[in-house]
Amino acid sequence: MRKFIYTALVAMAAFVLIQSCKKSGDGNTGDNSSGFDRKAMLTNISANIIIPAYTAFQADAVSLDAAVTAFVASPDADKLTTVQTAFKTTYQQWQATSVFEFGPAGQVSLRVNTNTYPTDVNQINANISSNTYNPTLLANLSAKGLPAMDYLLFGTGANNTAILAQYTTDSKAGNRKTYLAALAAELKSNASTVLSGWGSYQNTFVNAAGTDVGSSTGQLVNQLVYDYEILKNYEVGIPAGVQSMGNTFPTYVQAYYSKMSLQLAKLHLQAMQNIYLGKSGQTNGLGLDDYLVQTTKLPNTAKYANGSSVNDAITTQFATATSKLQTLTDPLADNISSNPGAVTAAYAELQKLTVLLKTDMTSSLSILITYGDNDGD
Amino acid sequence: MPNAIKGAFASFFNVPKHIAPLAVLRVAFGGIMLVSIVRFILKGWVSAYYIIPRFHFTFYGFDWVRPLSPTGMYTLFAVMIAAAILVTIGLFYRVAILTFFLCFTYVELIDKTTYLNHYYFISVMAFLMIWVPAHRYFSVDVLRKPLLQVTKVPGWCINIFKLQLVLVYFFAGISKLNYDWLIAAMPLRIWLPGKSDLPVIGGLLNQVWVAYLFSWFGALFDLLIGFLLLYRTTRRPAYALVIVFHLATAWLFKIGMFPYIMIFVTIIFFSENTHLRIINYLRRVLPKSRLSPPKSYHIPAVKVNFIAVILLLFFAIQLLLPFRYLLYPGKLYWTEEGYRFSWRVMLMEKRGTIFFHVKNPANGRQSEIINSRYLTPFQETMMATQPDMILQYAHFLASEYQKMGINNPIVTAESYVTLNGSGSMLYIDSTVNLATEQETFGHKKWILPFHNTQK
Repeated sequence: MRKFIYTALVAMAAFVLIQSCKKSGDGNTGDNSSGFDRKAMLTNISANIIIPAYTAFQADAVSLDAAVTAFVASPDADKLTTVQTAFKTTYQQWQATSVFEFGPAGQVSLRVNTNTYPTDVNQINANISSNTYNPTLLANLSAKGLPAMDYLLFGTGANNTAILAQYTTDSKAGNRKTYLAALAAELKSNASTVLSGWGSYQNTFVNAAGTDVGSSTGQLVNQLVYDYEILKNYEVGIPAGVQSMGNTFPTYVQAYYSKMSLQLAKLHLQAMQNIYLGKSGQTNGLGLDDYLVQTTKLPNTAKYANGSSVNDAITTQFATATSKLQTLTDPLADNISSNPGAVTAAYAELQKLTVLLKTDMTSSLSILITYGDNDGD
Repeated sequence: MPNAIKGAFASFFNVPKHIAPLAVLRVAFGGIMLVSIVRFILKGWVSAYYIIPRFHFTFYGFDWVRPLSPTGMYTLFAVMIAAAILVTIGLFYRVAILTFFLCFTYVELIDKTTYLNHYYFISVMAFLMIWVPAHRYFSVDVLRKPLLQVTKVPGWCINIFKLQLVLVYFFAGISKLNYDWLIAAMPLRIWLPGKSDLPVIGGLLNQVWVAYLFSWFGALFDLLIGFLLLYRTTRRPAYALVIVFHLATAWLFKIGMFPYIMIFVTIIFFSENTHLRIINYLRRVLPKSRLSPPKSYHIPAVKVNFIAVILLLFFAIQLLLPFRYLLYPGKLYWTEEGYRFSWRVMLMEKRGTIFFHVKNPANGRQSEIINSRYLTPFQETMMATQPDMILQYAHFLASEYQKMGINNPIVTAESYVTLNGSGSMLYIDSTVNLATEQETFGHKKWILPFHNTQK
């Protein structure tokens, strides 16, 4: 008996070894018939989604900076409108850019430097009064980026005439112009750094094709989930009071002063759906959906009570969450005050998508959601 | 029959054996512990696990265990490093191994978030090593006091480690004999394709049959390897398998030091000649020590009886603990009631997302909790799928809100969990006020049953 067991074990070990060697002997013919080509997915997502997003965001930031420069040189109503329009375009494009907080963006902490809100009006005014601005100061995170410009361009007066006065006749007009210009320049500089960083990082990104913590798929999925939670919590949940015993904070919404919070949230959700689908323009390339379909097509894998697959569930929930957001109206802050129930109903649907992305998707893809590091067993 | 048992007992306990395997085990265990502890510190885990978290998931009955101050924690780890070095070289051995056991176990008891079978294994091994004279050969203690040196020890001094290792592997094997592992090839079927970018075997890992092969081979390996190591004829190939198996798991999975620990400690199964050769090899790079004449290790009968009682109790617990899950209803992997301390390794692909709600009974207003305000991401991840941790956290939230002036806050959990490829489903009865549920050894009725919809 002992001999038999021993022989069986050795035979199995030999079998495994031979199989492994056979594979290596085949060379890189890449028998991926039953596997998913993660590299192709990463190629599609980086070339057709990420880099176009950074390219557009950088171009928008350059235009915004130019508009701000022109405005502060000789402020007038037309130039203010031009700046405001350029700002809105930039903020809209940011919604499709915020997810990718790894590689070059991770190095400059692009997300918090660009979009920390609610913005700290007191800190902004203190910086203007003292005419000092240190971009590396932690306290200035909530006094910079798009939310600070949102306040400076839309929130410093009741209407454009009053806002313009802040840059012309106000006693702090000079300092305010300096501050606005500094923020626009910083935004442009960060966007340019990240865009140029992707020139060489794209290759790294495509080739880190594993699923470990540091792999590209791992980072992409982690950041997708993380940024999705920002959307759910900060763009909708917290202002609607779901985390504060029902006490609402309408002013905490994203883009409170320019009153396009809901529009941005919808763009943000759409951008995440595009990443999930691997979709750019009208072209639907390889995305996480295809990967999920591949890993869950075998019997015995992730099915729901109604027989639908994980991918079906996620696709459906994206649609449901989107339609719930569409029942709301801008300005979202007013909507929260007048009809908080509708906002929390939308939040509930967003919440369901969190579960699907964070638990079902990552489990099926065997990707760890970890912002830390630890051993398993 | 009783006589046969008595005989087996006597031979297990009393037949004199050469001390060399024990000395090698001491060096191997101490050395690998030194590496493990240094690695733990360098990874920043002292801070991440024991300093940064403001709330800790203590073990039931060990609520009094609290982390030390940051300086205290680092001092403790420094003490463990010193103890591991002393164990390795065999200086002040008994004090060193006892210190190591106490410090390590204390750290493990602080927070069950970091519970791993291999940390439990380290505590168990260190505990066993307290009772044996592993320093009475090839050690600095012997250099200091040559009279300490012995060449023979009673069999139990070495056999307890073999028994422990056989139990670890065998229980790990038994835990794999279930539908998920053998018939569905879960969770390897999910995990292996994720590694398909590995060189050489990467492409194979996408194949379903490879998941089955690994599952069955893994189960057979765990079930048999302990016994194959025991018999002289199968020992060498078995140890080769141990090396191959553990290195393969180290390569495929993120399991830290565990594979290396097992590779080192299973050397104990080899004969005294092999161990003498190892020691002679080590001696060549170390200062010469005098060889003293053969001498047996003698301990007073009272002491032997005391140790015998302790070891019998210990192994009785070791044998029974893995079966305690039978006392609970429901699917073990789902409820995790009786899951820990049973050598269940890498059996589940289980994840969850959990939202806690705290409600003020006075006005019915409620809040969703931002878990990251109280927990580290790692704690939140581990808590989401383990009912006892969910309950602990709920109690913590209740006390936090009580402090904020809300009387008898109602704490509910909306939790979705996926297990071995099942679609996520509601895990905890979201209508139950967890604040008023008590932790006991009994079954938690608020865990919803597992419905596998795929079969």
